[in-house]
Amino acid sequence: MAKNTQIKSHVKNGSRAFDVFCVLFCGMVCLVTLYPMYYVFIMSVSAPEAVNSMSVFLFPKGFQLDSYAILFKDSQMWRAYGNTIIYTVSSTLLILITSVLGAYPLTVSGLRGRKFFVTFLLIPMYFGGGLIPSFLLINKLGLYATRWAIILPSAFNIWNLILVRTFFSGLPEELRESARMDGAGHLRILFQIFLPISKAVLAVVSIYSIVGMWNSWFNAQVYLPSVDLQPLQMYLKRVLVQMSVDLSKLNSTEIADAVEKMFSATQLKYSMIIFTTLPIIFTYPFFQKYFIKGVMVGSLKG
Amino acid sequence: MGVQEKTVRTRGMKRKKGYRKKVSWREQWELMLIMLPAFALIFIFCYIPMYGIVIAFQEYVPGAPMIAFDGSTRWVGLKHFMDFISSRTFPRLIRNTLVLNGLNLLFGFSIPIIFALILNEVKLSRYKKIVQTASYLPYFISTVIVAGMVLSFLDTNGLVNTVRRMMGLSVKAFNMDPKAFPVIYTVTNVWKSFGWDSILYLSAMSSIDMNLYEAAKMDGANRAQQMWYITIPSIKPTIMLLLIFAIGGMLGTNTDLILLLYNPATYETADVIGTYVYRDSLLGGRFSFGTAVGLFTSVLNFTLVFIANKVSAKVADYSLW
Repeated sequence: MAKNTQIKSHVKNGSRAFDVFCVLFCGMVCLVTLYPMYYVFIMSVSAPEAVNSMSVFLFPKGFQLDSYAILFKDSQMWRAYGNTIIYTVSSTLLILITSVLGAYPLTVSGLRGRKFFVTFLLIPMYFGGGLIPSFLLINKLGLYATRWAIILPSAFNIWNLILVRTFFSGLPEELRESARMDGAGHLRILFQIFLPISKAVLAVVSIYSIVGMWNSWFNAQVYLPSVDLQPLQMYLKRVLVQMSVDLSKLNSTEIADAVEKMFSATQLKYSMIIFTTLPIIFTYPFFQKYFIKGVMVGSLKG
Repeated sequence: MGVQEKTVRTRGMKRKKGYRKKVSWREQWELMLIMLPAFALIFIFCYIPMYGIVIAFQEYVPGAPMIAFDGSTRWVGLKHFMDFISSRTFPRLIRNTLVLNGLNLLFGFSIPIIFALILNEVKLSRYKKIVQTASYLPYFISTVIVAGMVLSFLDTNGLVNTVRRMMGLSVKAFNMDPKAFPVIYTVTNVWKSFGWDSILYLSAMSSIDMNLYEAAKMDGANRAQQMWYITIPSIKPTIMLLLIFAIGGMLGTNTDLILLLYNPATYETADVIGTYVYRDSLLGGRFSFGTAVGLFTSVLNFTLVFIANKVSAKVADYSLW
């Protein structure tokens, strides 16, 4: 506190203008970043007339949540939502398991061939077979058009594995040594001693894979021709990008007894954007807590 | 005090790692068994596709084995690479890839640094935190939704054209305009990732020794000079690291985003190597050709990382390996 006032007393006039500039600049950046999302939100909750006349800019005009209620009737969306949850949960669990199991042995000193194993991990980070050989592999394994085509290739993540390894190697070696003395096997040390004190890094890995999987669509585009198995992002792609699904058909005659209560496709799209982004926004507080730390742990390794 | 001694001691032990006796064979097997699930998956999904690259040098027939010793494999050498380089689409693909990546390198790389530098100068810590939190929100929004929003805003009845109409300007179908594509792509990309990319710079800045600033102030350095002579040199390793990666990704582009934003009307400026391989080779079933193009790209990418790394080691005294 005392230091602060001392610094302030040294501030010159030019410095004051600099401060104001910085604050204003950051405010502008904030506005530019948030406005598109905010706009989508206020459009989604405004009255249909205001949305159709494109007169919503700063505040919602009127207020309704029926546009969201209509979306609840969209069975295609729910199916896609369900698929996304299946993919996200299973790949996150698998990534946790493979990262932890793959990382632990690399931190045991005296492991033979450690250099080989680490190189084995690093090569795919710089070089890969590319799209077509991966596609042919999935085909050959008989995974094409099954859920496994999405889950198995995302069941591991080398970057996460290295993150966990970095964390494990920061733990005191004595922990393992003393457990070894007591005759504990490595698997037991890993699950009973290491994991309970590694919650932070496990949280980081989970959040990474939840966000990554929730938002991914390209693998589904390549490997899942059947609409029944496709995740939410593929459905959103048909609604928002290809526009091959017309949401305004969801307006049923019971709700829309008056024409002005009919929702335009645009408003329903915007409602859907908000509704499908919510789960990710909910991970945000956890992100705040762990994520930045994770980025830094990762950056130390380069 | 005790903790410090301990870390010093463990460090000493680590340095002597080489002398530590190897684990017993029983233990070695136990450990390798634990690693097995992860390493097996990596082998299958990362290394087998690398082997699949051999079809770039063949006339591969789907369903046939990739290498057969009965003479049924038709090796064609570098034919597919030559075909690609001499094809009519090649100049367009290279030009688009370089233009889109160049723009992204110019803005997508510099804006996070400028943003971080300015945000770092904000002394209101609460405000600073809010701004930073807001800045990386777009990173969490899926590419599909971002592309959907962009297309909807640029629609003839969308936000941008409504504002243009109010200002008396003509309505334009931006998403059909090849000239607009590079701008749309760059703005979208920067919007989505600048906040995220600035996190590393901000964390590097937060670890700068405050005494350096105090000393500079004593010497009469103003804020801009402090930024130039202290902050920027301190984050230089981070800048170089990210620059090497950015240059290494030069031929990669954000294929995801382009696939969502482009359409046949904008292929002229939007089609890049990644989208071309997807459209022409995967959907078109030209597997050998597509693999050759993919290999061409990753070899060039790797060369670029290598060169960037060398240059960085010379010029900035920083290198990846």
